[in-house]
Amino acid sequence: MTKLELDDIQGLVARGYGRLRAARFLVLAFGDIQPARQWLASVAGELTPASEDPREAAVQLALTHAGLETLGLAATTLAGFSHEFREGMTTPHRQRVLGDLDGNAPESWRWGGPANPVPHALLMLYTANEVQMAGALDAATERLGTAGIRVLVTLDTTDIGEVEPFGFRDGISQPVPEGFGREGRKEDTVKAGEFVLGYPNEYGELTDRPLVDPLKDPGEVLPQDSGGTKDRDFGRNGTYLVVRQLEQDVRGFWRYLEETTRGSNGDVRPEERDRLGAKMVGRWPGGAPLTTSPDRDDEALAKSNDFGYHHGDAEGLSCPVGAHVRRTNPRDSLDPNPGSADSLALNRRHRILRRGRAYGARLTPEDALEASSPDGIERGLHFACLAANISRQFEFIQHTWANNSKFDGLYDEVDPIMGTRGAAGATFSMPADPVRQRLTGIPQFVTVRGGAYFFLPGLRALRYLSSLK
Amino acid sequence: MSSTHQEALTMIFPVSAGSEAALDDALATAGADAALGSMNFGKVDGLHFARFVVIPPAPGAGGTVQLFFLLDCDAPARTRLREIVRDGGAGLDAVLRWCDGYPAESERSAASRSDYLRRHIQPSAAVYVNTVGRTVKQIRAEATLRESVEGFLDRERDWSGKRPGEIRSAIQAFVAADGDLRWALLPAPQPSLSFRARRYLNLAFGIAIGMALVPVALVGAIPFAVQLRRLERSEPSPRVLPDDEHVRKLGEIEDLVSQNQFTAYGEIKPGRFRRYLAVGLLWAVNFGARHRFNHGNLAGVKTIHAARWVFLDGRKRMVFCSNYDGSLENYMDDFIDKVAWGLNAVFSNGAEYPRTNWLVRDGAKNELAFKSYIRAHQVPSPVWYSAYPNLTAINIENNAQVRAGLHGEMSEADAARWLRRL
Repeated sequence: MTKLELDDIQGLVARGYGRLRAARFLVLAFGDIQPARQWLASVAGELTPASEDPREAAVQLALTHAGLETLGLAATTLAGFSHEFREGMTTPHRQRVLGDLDGNAPESWRWGGPANPVPHALLMLYTANEVQMAGALDAATERLGTAGIRVLVTLDTTDIGEVEPFGFRDGISQPVPEGFGREGRKEDTVKAGEFVLGYPNEYGELTDRPLVDPLKDPGEVLPQDSGGTKDRDFGRNGTYLVVRQLEQDVRGFWRYLEETTRGSNGDVRPEERDRLGAKMVGRWPGGAPLTTSPDRDDEALAKSNDFGYHHGDAEGLSCPVGAHVRRTNPRDSLDPNPGSADSLALNRRHRILRRGRAYGARLTPEDALEASSPDGIERGLHFACLAANISRQFEFIQHTWANNSKFDGLYDEVDPIMGTRGAAGATFSMPADPVRQRLTGIPQFVTVRGGAYFFLPGLRALRYLSSLK
Repeated sequence: MSSTHQEALTMIFPVSAGSEAALDDALATAGADAALGSMNFGKVDGLHFARFVVIPPAPGAGGTVQLFFLLDCDAPARTRLREIVRDGGAGLDAVLRWCDGYPAESERSAASRSDYLRRHIQPSAAVYVNTVGRTVKQIRAEATLRESVEGFLDRERDWSGKRPGEIRSAIQAFVAADGDLRWALLPAPQPSLSFRARRYLNLAFGIAIGMALVPVALVGAIPFAVQLRRLERSEPSPRVLPDDEHVRKLGEIEDLVSQNQFTAYGEIKPGRFRRYLAVGLLWAVNFGARHRFNHGNLAGVKTIHAARWVFLDGRKRMVFCSNYDGSLENYMDDFIDKVAWGLNAVFSNGAEYPRTNWLVRDGAKNELAFKSYIRAHQVPSPVWYSAYPNLTAINIENNAQVRAGLHGEMSEADAARWLRRL
């Protein structure tokens, strides 16, 4: 196994900083280039590498294509980034790929859309608690101001525990990249090159990466291209970071479940309500997978991740084929040869490392059901994920799995939780004996409010960038 | 009764020098609505897919731009062609007037248009049809059937406690009671006896030829391998990068419906070895598609509705086109993950393909080089028509199984399995 240069890789690839409960993501736009480079040079020295596991604070920095261009990265190097990164998240075709249509259309985004200023960078601050965050944020803001860098938007986050805003346990299933010193199930263990550039991926290949003419790096700041050319590698130890602000209508979600499951006499049926929510998600609120615990939530299975769908639940009688977690990580359920190692190998080529954080005050399901009117607080997820190949990993999951009305033999349904639906709403089938149950007209619960594709460079690459003249 | 099998028609027209831009405009206009616009493809019964594609000339002097007109239709193709001329004459005029030899305005008639089309028909080197014998009429009718049955299940909400056999009987009764659905109680018609007889003859012929060639293969295997390895090592395999603007244009017309179109062309590598290898392998592909991969599955890929390979310019170039489900990313991944060997064998005879080893190894497994190759060689279809753009091949097969389950005896267990198709 290739040894990873952990002191050059930003730590977010290795860990989500779960211990650091407070987080702020600052979307930035550079002003004058020289002060921006100076700022970059000083920040580059403070970023947290993967070799450290901080208990107090962490700082990470990612850049958009426009940001790299503004800082003066050569056009030949920029051309080495992936097409989707260079093109950005909001082209008409990409909108169809991502489902950013109708209410999700970038025209109405708060940031990253065509009506918003072009983002150049994302500064990610993590601290142990909110008190420390206030100080860290003040210090960062002041330095940004001095460097003439504008904060386009500050993405606040809220510590709502181990759940996502709808109230379901989150972050249970993550791929385990090789080389970071963590052990995982074989099914989840993925080649480092799927998440870091410059190392072999699941095909045993190096993913395309931005290279630099050695003449343009006389100080040899950048690592050597591991592909064997004479070039220096700007991409090595870096990776792509996808960020999307997803508003979640928690109240709407729970009220929909309650209304849909009322008995014939109009009575509320809490068990049926929670069961429907679980069917849509594919796990119970406590985390237990429906495939292994079809009838009830089970604390003993709260973090259960050691299961497949094909043997025992191929038809989705327990966990519907169209459920959120089954769509976004189908495990062993798809061709070639469902239930086989080949199927799992295919699945491993479409994994992402999720690094998102919730925002907005927590609204429990109970409160969501009680409140007669919305509380006016926006809540949701600052979705963030890492992948070496945005189109094969993130976009594939979004397009071919979650938003695909034809996923795994279905006809006309999208992910019931996050799938894009028109005014007519979504359809969701729950296979059952003797006859499936089918819901239509399911309203939208998740709305995209912003987003961009970033690159999370290695530390030497950032130093190189700050030294450009 | 006519046969239910499918035919693929390829027509290639030389574009008049200087008319390329006008042709592009005409194609854009026609392509804005291929089903109901001037081409009126939607009116032609039995037309599965249609497309126009402009293929640029081969590098070097003397080449002309060529316009491809591709049809996948239910037999007989000559009737489909007549219908296309009948319903889309004006559309054809607007496009084909920019090609050499198209009848002048005063001479245009159904007969002269048909004649022009027929004169430009070229053979395909290999043709794949997802399921041989399934007509457009059947595909559409079975889709309606399935929707009606789903609606019936939704309306009669409470099925709990009923046995699968009882529910199946209720569905059968529902279908029988509807004059528009009653046809579904009978099994789907099959390709004609003469079509099947010809297919068996072809199979027997192919096997006989194969046996006869065994001694040749034994003698030739070593020289073949030596030559193949020599070429695989020495042939250039440059990493081609598609132009950003080209990729943007291709993306513009992708992912608008559940199906997508794909067309790519390329030069065959120089020398007789590669040319004859391509010819032989495509013969094998065609043979396989006819006898083995003729029901829903092309060597593990289940998302292709129709595909074909056509030689061009005296077998110096090759064109491949297909109609498939889902995104190009998924399509390319399917190729790499499921059928890289087959793809390598055929496409490695084309220039710029990622380097293979022993014909079937590596090649497409070099993921990003392969994906760049695909995009760089792809051309858009400015006019594209599908008779059922929002049905996947899997949907169509499932619909057929829903219909098939309506007749005959069934055990309770089989009825339960059948109900899960709904």
